[in-house]
Amino acid sequence: MVTMPESPGFLPRAQLERLIGLLREDGRRVIGPTVSDGAIVYDEVTSIDDLPAGWHDEQAAGRYRLRHDDGRQVFGYASSPTSWKRFTFPPLVPISRVRRDGSSLAFEAVSSDAAPMAFLGVRGCDLAALRIHDRVLSQGPVQDADYTARRRSAVVVAVNCTRPASTCFCTSMGTGPEAGPGYDLALTELDDGFLVDTGSPLGAELAGRLGTRPATSAQAAAAATAVGDARSRIGNPVDTGRVRDGLLTRLEDPRWAQVAERCLSCSNCTLVCPTCFCTGINQRSDLAGQESVSERVWNSCFSDGFARVAGGDFRPRSQDRYRQWLTHKFATWVDQFGTSGCVGCGRCIAWCPAGIDVREELSTFTATQPSTVPLAIPRATPSVADGFSTATVREVRVETADTTTLALRWASDLAAAGRPGQFVMLTRPGLPAIPMSVSRFTDGGIELTIRAAGPASATLASSKPGDHVGLRGPLGVGWPIDLAIGRDVVIVAGGIGLAPVRPIVDQVLADRGRFGAVRLYYGARTPVDRLYVAEYAAWASRQGLEFAEVVDRAGGDWLGRVGVVTQLFDQADWDGTSAVAFVCGPERMMQAAATTLAMRGLAPERTFLSLERHMECGVGLCGHCQMGPYFVCRDGPVFSLAGLGKTFGREGI
Amino acid sequence: MADGRDVVAEAIGGWLSGDVPPSSRDRLVDLGRVRWFEPLTEIDREGDETREFGIVRHGRVALRTFVPSRGWVATLTIEPGDVFGWSALVAPHRATATALAIEAVEAVVFDATALRAAVAADHALAAAVYARLLEAVARRLASTRLQLLDLFGAAGYAPW
Repeated sequence: MVTMPESPGFLPRAQLERLIGLLREDGRRVIGPTVSDGAIVYDEVTSIDDLPAGWHDEQAAGRYRLRHDDGRQVFGYASSPTSWKRFTFPPLVPISRVRRDGSSLAFEAVSSDAAPMAFLGVRGCDLAALRIHDRVLSQGPVQDADYTARRRSAVVVAVNCTRPASTCFCTSMGTGPEAGPGYDLALTELDDGFLVDTGSPLGAELAGRLGTRPATSAQAAAAATAVGDARSRIGNPVDTGRVRDGLLTRLEDPRWAQVAERCLSCSNCTLVCPTCFCTGINQRSDLAGQESVSERVWNSCFSDGFARVAGGDFRPRSQDRYRQWLTHKFATWVDQFGTSGCVGCGRCIAWCPAGIDVREELSTFTATQPSTVPLAIPRATPSVADGFSTATVREVRVETADTTTLALRWASDLAAAGRPGQFVMLTRPGLPAIPMSVSRFTDGGIELTIRAAGPASATLASSKPGDHVGLRGPLGVGWPIDLAIGRDVVIVAGGIGLAPVRPIVDQVLADRGRFGAVRLYYGARTPVDRLYVAEYAAWASRQGLEFAEVVDRAGGDWLGRVGVVTQLFDQADWDGTSAVAFVCGPERMMQAAATTLAMRGLAPERTFLSLERHMECGVGLCGHCQMGPYFVCRDGPVFSLAGLGKTFGREGI
Repeated sequence: MADGRDVVAEAIGGWLSGDVPPSSRDRLVDLGRVRWFEPLTEIDREGDETREFGIVRHGRVALRTFVPSRGWVATLTIEPGDVFGWSALVAPHRATATALAIEAVEAVVFDATALRAAVAADHALAAAVYARLLEAVARRLASTRLQLLDLFGAAGYAPW
């Protein structure tokens, strides 16, 4: 057994070669700083000669330059445009594969390429970034298997920072200049060698094999002075104690529009950020159509279309996207993960082509703001999140000109695990998986109601009986039907929003005696756009279920109601004080419905909405569906109106 | 069975707020009469002078507009408790849509000219009637705005 020495060792400069050699002897690919393309770039190193001896960086807002002197210092730079996430969370990772064999589909996960690695030269800020990614990707309700495997495979040799850049603010974020927890070895570079601290049994074992000798008190003091000097030079540029509240209480501040005039939405900041983790999923197929691979790729909340849904884009403006990035990084990240998303490495400052300095932006929001009560964020409890499995199309029902219901046969345990309001990710080879609310739970399967909005949804909607599709889920938080037991129930649906509430109707009708009065109000665009028309008579005929429908506009032959869905109940005589409401439809319709329901006495705590956001992973890991502190896929899609608070219906959130 | 005056009084009582002086209420009751419209009866025609203001008691009235190449488009239906013919009280007193009974409709109606004279002569009545009328028109305006957004419409091409 290796015991960890309490006092630091000393490694003569030439012996650093020995450290690289030992790591390589252990079969590890050693990643460290190199000079490439005019920058410090983390890449594979095989000897000390690959390290950037004598190279130093000069960084400022929108500026990064390397300078060389005759010194021997190999860690004499502050940061690199690359970060370690390139190796723990690579820009492109294949995650699943589907093979076609005749008419059947076989889905399989792609195992991680997690060959052993060693990271040489991890700064305190970057080590904190790894800890944040651990929290986000490995310690949440759903684990990113690829990240976790890569992270576990990596030995971390940290470096205490003695040469910060003008862009650094690790001191404010509490991440440096000393390396915090999580390293195996930590070096402090001195003139003639390195002070060596051990942080793990593996590190102690490495130190033992290196044969470090105990550092002298002079060496230890020199190291402490060097790091202390670095801390003094950085100062404390950001008042972090007020950042979160300052941002969340000033979402409408004109500053957002001002910074957006400079922001190019280029996404450089998110690409160089060591903690940004938003991804998308690409599909790559062979030409024969026999095999299709899903690849997870880095994406950015600055990307055009990142928050796009079939009905539009929730963050179309630059100021929406900048606000999303900053408020997520410094405010809602805290709600989601218990830590700030920023480590103060300053990369986003140096690599912003417009020279936007995040410290300056933050100071605007921390200047004079009162404190607010922190939000109470419920812990998500997502259900089955494993890979895709095959389901078979049992029946196809055309609902409208562009909408089709597929009745699917699916592994009964998966379907049985689902709850009304949950969704699945639906795919076929070569197509991006799309989130789809379950529109009915059946014996041994589910039904999905699909509107053909683009190539993938159109292809899926054109499925034939016997076709195979891939399903992952059921996912997300569904309708809290239990809360409605013994109470009156009001269901308001608009357009295709009838699909996610149909399982509520099914459940209520199956157990009718346990609910009070049940009212279902449905609004559609035109008479021919109504869903499930054949079922209305059965719904309305059940004792106590009041069904009313309305269309936005109609031709001369329509004898039903015309108007908007709120007109079905805004002048009703029922009292909603103790009722529970379930609302689904376009967000603007839900706002109108919520307002009208409130007039009828519905409490915001008992008014539930199903939100639509762009979802790709479905489990809160890809970042697309964020809405304030929530991941809609994981914390929703069903939320109470009270839970959403002022976030609901707000521009650009 | 209630006679005509009782029906008129009941309809007015359901529509007007409670703080109208009895004399004003009576004046309005004096003006009202019950009318039945067979299905597909045109009650008002868009652009024509509005001859009656009415409160629907039973049945459904569709407000429709004729659009060349699209035919008749209904944008609102009037349900029991709601009113038709509000343009009887608002210049230029011409119907803004064609009102068609799409079911058998029972309504309490008021002659437009007489009603205008009554509200001109009785300011308390005018205050009550116009307040309710404004509520009805405001409700329709709010709904029309939502309809104008075409929230359920196809949103164009989506990449998935």
